Amino acid sequence: MDMNEIKEIFFQECEEQLAELESGLLKLNDGDRDPETVNAVFRAVHSIKGGAGAFGLDDLVSFAHVFETTLDCVRSNRLEPNQDVLKVMLKSADVLADLTNAARDGGSVDQARSRQLIKELEALASGELPQATAAEPTFKAAPTPVAAPPVNEEGFQPVAFSFEDFEADEPAVIEAPCYEIVFRPKSELYAKGNDATLLLRDLSRLGEMSIHCDMDGMPPLDRMNPEAAYFSWKISLKTDKGEEAIRSVFEFAEWDCDLDIALAGGCAVDASEELPMQPVPFDLSMLDEAPAGSAEEEEQFASRDRDAAVSAAGTASNVLQMAQSSTRAPAEAQRNTTAAASAAAQQAASAATPTIRVDLDRVDRLINLVGELVINQAMLSQSVIENDTNGTSSINMGLEELQQLTREIQDSVMAIRAQPVKPVFQRMSRIVREIADMTGKSVRLVTEGENTEVDKTVIDKLAEPLTHMIRNAVDHGLETPEKRLAAGKNAEGTVRLTAKHRSGRIVIELADDGAGINREKVRQKAIDNDLIAADANLSDEEVDNLIFHAGFSTADKISDISGRGVGMDVVKRSIQALGGRINISSKPGQGSIFTMSLPLTLAVLDGMVVTVANQTLVVPLTAIVETLQPEAAAIHSFGASQRLISIRNSFCPLVDVGRILNFRATQANPVEGVALLVESEGGGQRALMVDAIQGQRQVVIKSLEANYTHVPGIAAATILGDGRVALILDVDAIVAASRGQTLKPEMSLAAAG
Amino acid sequence: MASKKTAQKTLRLAPVLDLNEATALHEKLLALKGSAVAIDASAVERIGALCVQVLIAGARNWEEQQLSFTFAKVSDAFVKTTQLIGVDIDPLMAKEI
Repeated sequence: MDMNEIKEIFFQECEEQLAELESGLLKLNDGDRDPETVNAVFRAVHSIKGGAGAFGLDDLVSFAHVFETTLDCVRSNRLEPNQDVLKVMLKSADVLADLTNAARDGGSVDQARSRQLIKELEALASGELPQATAAEPTFKAAPTPVAAPPVNEEGFQPVAFSFEDFEADEPAVIEAPCYEIVFRPKSELYAKGNDATLLLRDLSRLGEMSIHCDMDGMPPLDRMNPEAAYFSWKISLKTDKGEEAIRSVFEFAEWDCDLDIALAGGCAVDASEELPMQPVPFDLSMLDEAPAGSAEEEEQFASRDRDAAVSAAGTASNVLQMAQSSTRAPAEAQRNTTAAASAAAQQAASAATPTIRVDLDRVDRLINLVGELVINQAMLSQSVIENDTNGTSSINMGLEELQQLTREIQDSVMAIRAQPVKPVFQRMSRIVREIADMTGKSVRLVTEGENTEVDKTVIDKLAEPLTHMIRNAVDHGLETPEKRLAAGKNAEGTVRLTAKHRSGRIVIELADDGAGINREKVRQKAIDNDLIAADANLSDEEVDNLIFHAGFSTADKISDISGRGVGMDVVKRSIQALGGRINISSKPGQGSIFTMSLPLTLAVLDGMVVTVANQTLVVPLTAIVETLQPEAAAIHSFGASQRLISIRNSFCPLVDVGRILNFRATQANPVEGVALLVESEGGGQRALMVDAIQGQRQVVIKSLEANYTHVPGIAAATILGDGRVALILDVDAIVAASRGQTLKPEMSLAAAG
Repeated sequence: MASKKTAQKTLRLAPVLDLNEATALHEKLLALKGSAVAIDASAVERIGALCVQVLIAGARNWEEQQLSFTFAKVSDAFVKTTQLIGVDIDPLMAKEI
């Protein structure tokens, strides 16, 4: 396989791991103490580190390593994951994501930030060790960073030490402990490009090693799979570097092999065991000089000496830290059992539901084709109906079945593109953290309905407007902790992000419990900016909607985060571009709620085909509540040009679609047409008047913006069965326009431009 | 690499015997079945455990058929790797004549 391909897969996996990491940390933050959650978090960081190591992404590895070390402390219950710890960890997760992105796309990361975090992480890992358990410090107290890659200035700052120091601490190095290691690689280990020989070579560097290769599992030559693992090894190793060092040799392979490490009582290096052990000569220099090694290998060669120095330095710094805090790591044994248990759990967890990765292009091509199929099928059935006078032919039956089939095909194809909104929501939690940090506010993001599925295009385009809104909510919406306390609220503000399905659309709600919109201020600002006349009489709702105007900001001073006035109008435009709508409801002192309603898919729509002034239009079915035939007695005039229709003893404004869209110059006679009762997102019903209803069908949406330009009042276009183009009505725009009789000037301008 | 016996064939190993080479080596060995084989490992710079597995499986197979399977020439890297992973190839080494 091509290296770049593998790398691409690695980055895709990284994304998943980062998501996993973040959700795990958030769970911990909410008080979840399930060891599996901790393990999941640890595993995520570990996998990233492992992969990054294979690609020589040093920055990533070194940061991940420090992060991992700290997480390991949490895993082994040496570090209580309280709020402060998690704050650092969440930040570290963000930096890790940045580093991953930088490694993928180039670019740089905030070095100072990551260095600062490394310091914090290290402080957590070492400074907050629990109470001392023994007086005499030993060598293997803390994880020795042997496996850390070279060039690790951030991680291992020079520590002043002298060898005499731990000569005193550790007088008896002569009789090093001996470990029995059983190493059984799985075929995956080789498949991933790793090799048992490399692992064993690294192992042999730790000390005096004897090895027995178990070849019993070996099948005959003609029945063997050359890429499967048959050998396993029994190794006894005399080393003073501790079990941690042994484990770290196998660290990138730990899920691809069975590994047993035990401390042997007496050392059997001299091949006195029942198994014939082959002593491994210490001088493997020839191997080291082997050319054509992988980058990783070369690094290992180069860093061999440094490794020793680094581990010595690491040990020394541990000794110093221990001296300072006069605390000590708990017993190694406990650590080992947890490590072993978690390794088993990790294996179980890695078997998830099978999925495949497909190029989005391919799916899109398929979707396009299915769209064409639907149109073609409609055309076919139309022409059959036209040419078939008795209407009972068997062709008709077949066509109906075909219609059902195409519909099903279309639904399933759309389901391929549907994705949960979770990744976007997760990104938001990071934004909340960052903004909260910058503004000095304490914010909690609550998300609901993360698994709500929506078309991938919608998801991709949702992130940006959502980011803007979250920033606004934290920066403008929430008050400072002092003000909140003064107002009798919890000092920690809450931002709630919810997604749910509602009548064929996805509704995303962003609610904060801040101060709400300061209508007085908004109004004043609008007057200052000549958006409204000083004496304009606006409803609360209208005032709230002013913030969607371009160049509007109520922030007193421009901050880094928001307040440049490029926020909400951009948000509104992006939401509209997705065929969605956005609404605000705000209560002073209680907060604001932004509601976005978006179509589930941008590809198909169930619509009612209607005729208006000899034009064929499609009204989205989701908007229609009912249809009715108006009677003259039910129509009432109201004001100069407004008309109302009475439906079951309530009045509803009657909107002439043909007039609003300028299809005709005068108002049509309501009695001759049909009224469609629609419910708009802003609430309230309107009766849209059209000339006739042609039928109801599923139409394939063709973007008007992409092919022509935005037309006010029109959401998109489609191709009907007879090959004609029909426009799809933007019901909300029509309803909004009905309030002022013409479509909004800004929108008309946009259409003209 | 002159053959001592007419039936003996020589298999020259590639310098790098990694994952990719294991299948190829396996096939090459299978193709040589039925005749004595001398392995020339003098060019080997790097050998992975998979290829050692194939060679050992080969050696056993040849042994069953009572044909000679020897390492005629070996490089230092080859010897060191086999030592490292605990595979004893001494009995298979061609004896100096």
